[in-house]
Parts: sequence; structure tokens; C-alpha cells
Amino acid sequence: MKNKLVMFWAIVLIIIASIVTICVKPTKLGLDLVGGSRLVLEAQTTDTISHITPDMMSSLQFAIENRVNKLGVSETVVQRSGDKRLVVEIPDVSDLNQAKAYLGETAELDFRKPVMKNDSEQWVSTGLTGKDLNSANLSTNSQNGQWVVDLEFNSAGTKKFAELTKKMVGQQMAIFFNGELQSAPVIREPITGGRAQISGGDSGFAYEEAKKMVDLLNAGALPIPAKIIEENTVGPTLGADSIAKSKLAGAIGLGFVMIFMACYYRAPGLIADIALILYSIMLFALFKAIPVTLTLAGIAGFILSIGMAVDANILIFERTKEELKAGRTLFTAINSGFDRAFTSIFDSNMTTIITCIILYCCGTSIVRGFALTLAIGVIVSMFSAITITKNFMHLAFGTGNLKNPAMFGLKPEEIGEGFQAVETKREKAKFGILD
Amino acid sequence: MKIKLDIVKYRWLCLCISAILLLPGICSMVYSMIVYDTHTPIRVGIDYTGGTTLQYSVQEAITNERLSAVRKGLESKGIENPSLQIINVNAANDDNLRAILAVRTKFIDEQSKDLESINSVMKSEFKSPELVQVASVGPTLGKELFKNSLIALSLALLGIIAYLTFRFQFDYALSAILGLVHDTIFVLGVFSILGLVYEVQVDALFVTALLTVIGFSVHDTIVVFDRVRENLKYYSKKMTFSEIMNGSINQTFTRSINTSLTTLITLAALYFFGGVTTKDFVLAMMLGILIGTYSSIFFCSTLVDIWEDRELSTKAVSA
Repeated sequence: MKNKLVMFWAIVLIIIASIVTICVKPTKLGLDLVGGSRLVLEAQTTDTISHITPDMMSSLQFAIENRVNKLGVSETVVQRSGDKRLVVEIPDVSDLNQAKAYLGETAELDFRKPVMKNDSEQWVSTGLTGKDLNSANLSTNSQNGQWVVDLEFNSAGTKKFAELTKKMVGQQMAIFFNGELQSAPVIREPITGGRAQISGGDSGFAYEEAKKMVDLLNAGALPIPAKIIEENTVGPTLGADSIAKSKLAGAIGLGFVMIFMACYYRAPGLIADIALILYSIMLFALFKAIPVTLTLAGIAGFILSIGMAVDANILIFERTKEELKAGRTLFTAINSGFDRAFTSIFDSNMTTIITCIILYCCGTSIVRGFALTLAIGVIVSMFSAITITKNFMHLAFGTGNLKNPAMFGLKPEEIGEGFQAVETKREKAKFGILD
Repeated sequence: MKIKLDIVKYRWLCLCISAILLLPGICSMVYSMIVYDTHTPIRVGIDYTGGTTLQYSVQEAITNERLSAVRKGLESKGIENPSLQIINVNAANDDNLRAILAVRTKFIDEQSKDLESINSVMKSEFKSPELVQVASVGPTLGKELFKNSLIALSLALLGIIAYLTFRFQFDYALSAILGLVHDTIFVLGVFSILGLVYEVQVDALFVTALLTVIGFSVHDTIVVFDRVRENLKYYSKKMTFSEIMNGSINQTFTRSINTSLTTLITLAALYFFGGVTTKDFVLAMMLGILIGTYSSIFFCSTLVDIWEDRELSTKAVSA
């Protein structure tokens, strides 16, 4: 009995720790619950780049991080996934199209010169590119008030630009941005100051256009082109709706299960109900402590694991009832109920854990969230059934005889009526059977 | 042992019922494989084919006339074969989320102007539609996800076979596997029919549901087999295998029903009160748990019993 009390206080301590964790730690909610955007970018090979190296991916990641930061949203995430993919997570994004436009564009600035080829004039790269820039700024043309982009070259760029303009006096020099001709002014004299300006040609730039170009140029060109291959965006309305409804569904589900258990299994059912509440508290605390990002699928896994946690209790109670029917004393019936149900609980939960591991390894992020919460749930449920329920049962019923069979939902005449197994001495010893 | 339910006596009947349960779904799957462009037994969503799904919440009821008006509007803007699905939302008291209209098209990339076109059509048809969810999967990624899902399914099966063979005998493992194949076919069949009738599409989450069902189905079967294993230790000299099997099923019967019931209660709460995004996922699990309970009591145990009977008769012949 002393051990039982020690165990009881240990459980109380764990629960207090769990409640403190729940109060102190914030819940990490997934993008599908708070609203936000999850994009997967894949680096594309080009004619010149046939193989994507980890170095290229690192610089791509850096460039994308720069761009995402330009959106001015906090808690963005840019992660590598596999050999050539990046996962970008942007919470609370207000204008999704804007975000997407920023990510995919390569921001290639290219200065080109005219060359006569087959009787037609073509633009050929001069070797001066966006890499030679120090910074770009938004400003307006003092004469016509149009938006322009001011460029400032770095030292190497200044030198290159000065040499080029010296050679090309009287010629046109074209500025291409992402393969599109922006403007092609005629060079009147060599420019040595390391500054240039892009005007939007005859029609001029719209503000957004010029602003975007400046941002992209400052964030740096993508070292390799990248394409968005997967997108998942949830608006904040749907996210809030999902949270509210999942909470409601969880509460209703848990409530009905508890009513069922109390009605069907009587006193042990009530103990299981308490264990179930404690189980939910522990599990939630664990999610916060690890921390596990809760997604909608994750919450589904959580609620499903409640169903499975009950299963362990049901297995044990059914077995205890059988042992009582077989005429065992209450104490031994509870003990052997637990011991004999344990192999079933263990084997069946192992298969669930096996599937969870496989889901976690092969799945996408939604699937992973589900697998993780379910697996943690199953493990905690085994602990809860075997320690908490058993401990409470022993403390509540003591070592005496069962005086009131109705407490277990049994009729008095049923006791001792069941079939009795013929057990070896070793078996009896194992289950603590004294009769 | 008190026997309430004589499964062994009616074992051929059990197999017949299983056949009746599975047949419509199998027919539907074969039909779907012939009819669909993708040649898949169920209607697969953008996760596997690639494409874009836009979900709009609207504050009014969506009638069929409106749906066809939306379709016409989209086609006039050059959106090819848009697939439209109304998703009913569990009405909560105060929110303005009445119904969700899902528009599925081919993959919309960054350059495409299709998103603006669809937005404008929705705005002209409904009072104040709100774009609540965008999901896009590139065509090559779709194929990859499909492959990954199949790999996950096969790995799960192998893992379970390995574990069961390790813990039980091979014939038990085999019939447990047949049982979960039985359950998987049933759930696939129902969703195949739903796909034909209501254009329900399956996504990556559906595979998750299937895998959970597999886990649960085996879970149920193990509880029965574990009992058989235990009873065999005590009674194998006194009773025939069929008697032990029958007894074990009856001993675990209440537990099987009660466990499924409690899990179904939590799932039903999720289905009727939970978020709209996981509805099909929860439905797949409910179906799976119902059939899983049935199969572990009536199907798998019957198989083991038939198997053991044959073993015995071959032994008798050789002796």
C-alpha cells in the first residue's frame, strides 16, 4: 500500500508539472490554423547549370530568406527539403499574390550592347550584371516626375561600367531585367561615377513595378532559377473557424466517451474518466514542451488517440470483470486484469506505432503532424492506463473483497460463474493469485 | 465457456457477407478505372494529379443553377474543365462561413492570370466571396506524391506482417493482413462510389486515414488472436480449435464493440462539429473502423479457423 501512495503522489506531481507547462508555454499552431502560406520551391536546372550543388542551394536559400524578410512578416521560415527544394512558410500573409511574385522571380539585371548579326541588330550581354551592383534605390525623374530606379555599382562594377561606356560612346546600351528590355539609352559620354539609372522607357514605370524591381535587386538575384511547385494557403477566417470547431468537437467527443464509460463500467469507468482527463492534460503539456506544431490533422490525431486511450481501459476492465466472474478476489482480479490485458494492449499499439513511424518517414508535412501526435498519444495512453488507472483502482478499492458487484456493473449471481482456467503454479505466481 | 455467438458454424455465411460488402465497391473501382482519364480506381485530387484548388467561402446557399452559372462564367474566361464542389460546413452559431465552393483547375503558376479571372467570376456570382484556401501542386510533384503514398502503404503492410510473424504464427499474420486488405478495399470502394456520385476526390490525407484504418484493423484483430493464443495454452488438449476460436471471439466481443464505439464517438464528434477540411478524412476513418471491427470478429478469425481445419485434415491424411 505504501508503494501505491508513493506512485499516487508521483502522478500528482506529473500532473502539476503538466499544468504549469500548459500555462507557461505557448501553443505552436500550424499555418492551417492561424492562416498563412506554405510554399515549396524547386531549383531548376538551366542550360548552363546542369547539376544543382548544395552550395547553390545554400545561396538560393539565403536569397529567398532575404526576399521573404522584405515582406515584413515575422516568424517566416525558409527550410531546405531534399536536394533541390526549399520550404517557405509565411504566416499572416495579407496579399498572397505579392508574396508569390517576390519568391519566384530571378531578379536578373543584365546590361547588353547591340551587335549586327545576319543583317539584324541583336542585344548581346556585356558581362555587366546585377552581381556588380552595390544597391538600388527608388526615386523620381526630376524632369517628368516619373518613377525611376537608381543603381549604384560596387567598385568592380564601377570599373567595368566606366570601361564599357568609354567604348560605347554614341551607341545604345540596353538594360534587361529578367530578360525583358527596360530601356536602351544612348551613351553620350563615359560614366565613371559608378551610378546609372533605369527609366521605364517611354511609358515610364508604375510605382509598384519600380518598387518591386528595387526590392528584388537589393535582395539579390537568385543564383539559380526556382519555381513554386506546391502551395498551400489558408486564410485567417478558415483557420479561426477550424480552431473553434476542433475545440468544440474535442470537448463533445471527450464528453460522450466519458458518459459512456461511466454508464457501462460504473465505478471503474469513473476512474477511467479521471485518467482520461489527466491523459489529455499530460498529452497537451507534452505537445507544448517538445514542441509539436499543432495542425488540423494533428488535432485529428490527438482526438483519435483519445479513442485509443479508452481502448486500453476497456480491455483491462473487461478482463477484470472476467476474472471477477471466475471468482477471484477483487485485488487479484484487478492485477491479473491488467497483466493479462497488457500483451493485447502492447501488441496492438505497436502496430499503430509502426504505421505512425512509416507515415512520419514517407509523408508530407500534413501527414507527419498526424503521425507524430498519434504516436505520442498512443505511448502516453499506455502509460496512463497502466500507471494511473491501475493505481487509482487499487487505491479506491483496497485489498478487500468486492462487496457490491454493481460497482462493476455485475450482478451478484454472476460472480464465480465464469469458466475457470487451470493454471500452473508459475502462472499463478506471475499474476499474484493467492487463492 | 458460454457461447452466445457461433461464428465458426456460420463461417461460410460470414465470407458471403464480406463478399456482398466488397462487391459494389470493387465494381465501382473497375468502372472508374475504365472511365476516368487518370485510370485510377478512385477520383484522385490535385495532390496526385497536380493542379490548383481554390476554396471560396460564401454567405448564401449554393444552388445548382448558380453552380452552372459559375461554370459557364469560368469557361468563358478560358478556364478549361473546372471542377466545382460544394463543401457543406458544420453551422456554428455566429460565424459567416455558410458554405464553401471548391474550384479545381489545372496548375496555376506564378505567371498565369487565371487566379484573377476566377476571382472576378466569383465576385460577379456571389455577394462577398472570400478566398479562404489555396492549394496548388505542380504536375511532377503530384506523380512523386502518388509514388510516395504507395511506398508508404506497402511499407506499412510489410512492417505489420513482420511484427505479427514475430509475435504470432505466420498463418495468423497472413489472415490479419487479408483482413486489412479486406478493410482497405471496402473503404476504397465506398470512396470510389462517392467519387462517381458526389465527385469526392481523395488527397494525401486520405492515405493517412487508410493507414490509420490499417493500424486500427490490425489492432482489433490482435486482441482476438491474443486471446486465442492464451486460451490455446490452457485448453488445447480439452477442446477443438474451432471451439477455442469461438470462445475467444465471444470473450473479446464486448471489448471489440465498446472500443470501436468509443472511437466512433470521438470521430463522429469530429465529423459533425469539427472543421470542414478534415471531413472526408474523418469519414474514411469511421468507415474503416466499422469494417475493421466487423472483419476482426467475423472475417479474420474465420480465415484462421478454416486454415487450421485444413492443417488438421492434411495431418490426419498423412498419418
